[in-house]
Amino acid sequence: MILKVENLRKYFGKKNIIRAVDGASFEIERGDVFALLGLNGAGKTTTIKCILDLCKRDTGEIIYNGRDKIAYVPEGKELYGSYKVKKMIEVAKHITEGFDIDKCLEFISEFGIPLDEKVSSLSNGQATQLYLALVLSQRAELYIFDEPTWGLDPVIRNKILDTIKSIPLNGGTVFYTSHILGEVERVADKIAIMHKGKILEIGFLDDIKGSYCAVSIEKMQSKSRSEELGTYGYLYKSTESEDIYIVKKDYAQERNLDFQPIPFELTFEALVLGQKDQGEESNEVR
Amino acid sequence: MWFTIDFHSHTPVYVQIKDSIKALILKGKLKTGDYIPSIRNLAKDIGVNINTVARAYRELELDGVIKSERGEGYVVVGVESEKIKEGLKVEMMKLLNKCKISGISEDDLIELVRKIYKDL
Repeated sequence: MILKVENLRKYFGKKNIIRAVDGASFEIERGDVFALLGLNGAGKTTTIKCILDLCKRDTGEIIYNGRDKIAYVPEGKELYGSYKVKKMIEVAKHITEGFDIDKCLEFISEFGIPLDEKVSSLSNGQATQLYLALVLSQRAELYIFDEPTWGLDPVIRNKILDTIKSIPLNGGTVFYTSHILGEVERVADKIAIMHKGKILEIGFLDDIKGSYCAVSIEKMQSKSRSEELGTYGYLYKSTESEDIYIVKKDYAQERNLDFQPIPFELTFEALVLGQKDQGEESNEVR
Repeated sequence: MWFTIDFHSHTPVYVQIKDSIKALILKGKLKTGDYIPSIRNLAKDIGVNINTVARAYRELELDGVIKSERGEGYVVVGVESEKIKEGLKVEMMKLLNKCKISGISEDDLIELVRKIYKDL
């Protein structure tokens, strides 16, 4: 285990009305590519900021087991615009502990970024790649990326994802956030789904993918079953004659219901949207 | 050894890896005693996380399809091809039943079977 977050809470606003992170717990093992997944405003960035101590947590425990500092690519990738790429790299070497400048230059040439270009005139994709090159050249055991591919074209995005994916091959661990499911499917092996500051599901992506399914219930035939599913499952769709629910596969198997596999997007939707009502109810209870 | 992975499929990635390796053995591209790539190399080649490949190899080992040779890597033991063939026959029967229900005639199906087997 390299990082453990336990029961993390961070509230904002008057009377702590915004529960940005609301009792989140997860563990990251060495060699993982761990993705924290959630809609905008789910609490992902606040979680990262608490881990990095950029933001004071209200309660909770954060245990980091690495020796080196955590490498971090923030959401707004801001660099010194007036510097040339070359100077930017030299500055990074100066201010970063354990910075490998040769490695950085290798990345820069691999990404095809001109060393004499001003940072401010780089494209969005190049600026991200430069930031990535700087961070990846830092000696670290844990790399945190906050929405690293935001606003990039598919070619650059794939390059960046490949780079992130190769980090464990060199002994590193990755923690990254995204709301782009297709991307997470490609890169991560473990995920946590976050919604309204809470972790709804956590585990190996492969396991989560296989553990939800769709069942369709004839509306006329089985009213009691429909009612039961209405409280347990997530009503995904209602056709003229049937209701389609997303449920756990175990649930469907125990009851001998016919089920169909579903894509990950649907699982995510069911978890996040299915939670909405429950979440509000539980807020009222408190 | 290389094969594609569909990251968006509902079939878990480690299952896809297992299936692909078994298929390579069935097709004779991998033979008993052949070494397969290390976990790390396969992970790199097909763009999958190490954990995921490790899981596929672990299960293939449990299934008796491969075994790890100390310090040497993983070696193919073989697949129980009869078992897999039986599985395929069961799937075929399901499909044939569907054909029957949809009203495809026996002769049509037999003709199809002949065509496929002649082509191969």
